[in-house]
Amino acid sequence: MTTNGASLPGWGDAALVHCRVCDWSFLQPRDLQVTACPHCYSDGLRPLAVDHDLLPYVRPAEAYLPFALSEDQVRAAVRAFARGIPLAPIDLQPQRLSQRLQAVFLPRWLVDAEVAATWQAETGFNYDIVSHEERYDQNRGGWRTQQITETKVRWEPQVGRLKRQYHNVAAAALDEKPHVRRQLGAFQTAAAQPFRPETAAHALVRLPNRSPQDAWPEVEVELRKTAAGECRQAARADHLREFRWSPEFADRHWTLLLLPMYSTFYLDDEGRPRPVLIHGQSGRVSGLRRASMRRARRLASILAVIAAILLLASVLAVAIGSWLGEAQVQALGTAGVLVGLLVAASALAPLGVVWLFNLSQRRHMQVFL
Amino acid sequence: MPVCFPPPGYVRTESAVEGIELYRQAPELLAHRRIETFDCPQCAGQRAYSVADGGLSCVNCGYYEPPSRPMVGKGAESFEFTVETMTRVARGWGHARKDLHCQYCGAHTTLPPTLLSYSCPFCGSNKVIQRDAPQDALRPRFLAPFALTEGQCQETITAWLRGHWLAPAALKRVAHGARLAAIYLPFWTIDATAHANWRAEVRRVRRIGGKTRVVWRWESGKVTQVFDDWLVPGATHVNPRLLEVVQPWDLAALVPYEAAYLAGIQAQAYEVTLDAAWESARRAMREQVRQRCRGQASSRRMRNFSMEMQYRDENWRYILLPLYLASYEHNRRIYQVAVNGQSGKIGGQRPADWRKVLGLTLAWLLPSLLAALIPAYFLPPSDLALTVSVLGALLFVAGLAFTVYMVTTALRMEGKGR
Repeated sequence: MTTNGASLPGWGDAALVHCRVCDWSFLQPRDLQVTACPHCYSDGLRPLAVDHDLLPYVRPAEAYLPFALSEDQVRAAVRAFARGIPLAPIDLQPQRLSQRLQAVFLPRWLVDAEVAATWQAETGFNYDIVSHEERYDQNRGGWRTQQITETKVRWEPQVGRLKRQYHNVAAAALDEKPHVRRQLGAFQTAAAQPFRPETAAHALVRLPNRSPQDAWPEVEVELRKTAAGECRQAARADHLREFRWSPEFADRHWTLLLLPMYSTFYLDDEGRPRPVLIHGQSGRVSGLRRASMRRARRLASILAVIAAILLLASVLAVAIGSWLGEAQVQALGTAGVLVGLLVAASALAPLGVVWLFNLSQRRHMQVFL
Repeated sequence: MPVCFPPPGYVRTESAVEGIELYRQAPELLAHRRIETFDCPQCAGQRAYSVADGGLSCVNCGYYEPPSRPMVGKGAESFEFTVETMTRVARGWGHARKDLHCQYCGAHTTLPPTLLSYSCPFCGSNKVIQRDAPQDALRPRFLAPFALTEGQCQETITAWLRGHWLAPAALKRVAHGARLAAIYLPFWTIDATAHANWRAEVRRVRRIGGKTRVVWRWESGKVTQVFDDWLVPGATHVNPRLLEVVQPWDLAALVPYEAAYLAGIQAQAYEVTLDAAWESARRAMREQVRQRCRGQASSRRMRNFSMEMQYRDENWRYILLPLYLASYEHNRRIYQVAVNGQSGKIGGQRPADWRKVLGLTLAWLLPSLLAALIPAYFLPPSDLALTVSVLGALLFVAGLAFTVYMVTTALRMEGKGR
């Protein structure tokens, strides 16, 4: 789909698109063909023609993490995901998953702020004490002493003033960030590079749905943590506890960091799209691997029919054999009954295997978005 | 957060991070404290610690200044056995003192600079070399002030010297002339908690089928013992037995070290290092714990006894305890007397009058011997002669026993016997 939605300054030739189904908004490069929403996998993506002033959460991107996986690595990850599923859904095939792969950048807030604060804490300094262990053995000549060293912590109260500029403190720009982190794992932000519009030419950019106001408490926690660490360093201490501060923040500046991810999906038995997400740096794949109960039922039905036919024929053979007095026919019929029962029992196996597999996968299931 | 910044008692300290100011509690300025003088503010005379009043008194005009620091007793701060603590411990005596080295017995003593005449309190020798007291020695943090005045001590010593019938009569004159020195002796107090696990084969006797059989059975147990303020003398020039005799010390009377307490009083720096003191204390502690472990067993007869023991919460203090030392010369021998500066308990060596011992021995043994022999050899046999002989023999044996008692008593007086 080529969009003609509104564009945003600082983002190059990309337009705003909005999914009518899941209410998610993206920036879509104008040359990028997108067939389905990378969130709900519907075809509900539509251009959004609004003034960017009406998008209070959107800030220019400052940096991005490049996609670090080659095409082969991504395909290999997809193949590994699809491998080993007993009676997989028809749609769960590596080729289809690869065809539907969509590169997406997820946003994260980066905040710069100047902090002035007074603080107090207890700083802990490691020190070694010398102690002793004594052993007495009547048969080995009496006492033996061993000197041991034990590390302890000495705590000292300290107070101080802090005036520091902090850069690129990260905070979630999506309400779903905990799910993303749980599913995909952490991103190596050390690989961040300055953002240029052309770097996002092949990927959709998810727009933040968490306002800076909502994200600020998280930033404050992070700033506090960073400041506490720096105060510990300033005191050349090994530990710090009971850190309290009275901060004043100034010059807050919000930008975005873009995190790489691939999104694809497969349709389950009911035709519902099941998301499969791939970490753009590590290649970690996350998604629910489901076996097809429909295929299992079909296989079980076939086996049941075969068993029924076999049992019927065998019972007839036994009856005829006893009527004619042919022991061999009777024996053949009896064997047929046994085989038929065996086949009937095995008809339950596909259902059981699929049920157990889906049950085991459900334990790992993490609902994304 | 503190309303005023920085809070009182905090001083700025170096920060390793730009943009962060750091304030810490001002350390107690103990290292190389300023040199204090004890000039009287009224008459410019010299003040000295007054045992009777517990403060500084001017010897000229009687100006009195009470001590400024409260008693801390057994709650006095103790230190862990760390190298860092050792270096952090305050150093020096805090006031100018002279260090004297006795060429006769090797003892080191420090004393105020105003003290002009000096003889070694340990041996009475006046062969001493004077030098400045080192400021880099560990400084005691607590001391127990003298509770006994010099006069009271002198009376105690005089009574003690005169108080023994075997003491020579000349000692009564010496008692007045005994050189008395009030001195603070160094001690280490050591706290520790010992946890021990033991096992041993214990002998049990059982009667099986009318026969007695010895059975060795394994037993084990645990012992936890807390050692509080284990005292180890820091001085080597005082007879350890003397220090044992004058114990105990009342550590509840400990006060924070203040130079004023040493004004006009001698003090000795430690000669036994902390390491050595701790080792000595450990040896004694572990033996106590071992005895307790053995006591837990169901029988005293055991074999293959073994135990493991760990020390926890090991702490130490370096303190000064008050002692009056007197040394006097008798028959060209130096005798030492010590008096506990708190309780007045006395211990020491007294010369025995060996002529008195000999005289009494002869006075008893000779007549009894003669009484035993003369009737036997020179008198015709009779009941009376036999009775006198037997009585003489009995008296002779009693005389021998008395002689042994006198000799051991005399040796004990001189510090030679047990």
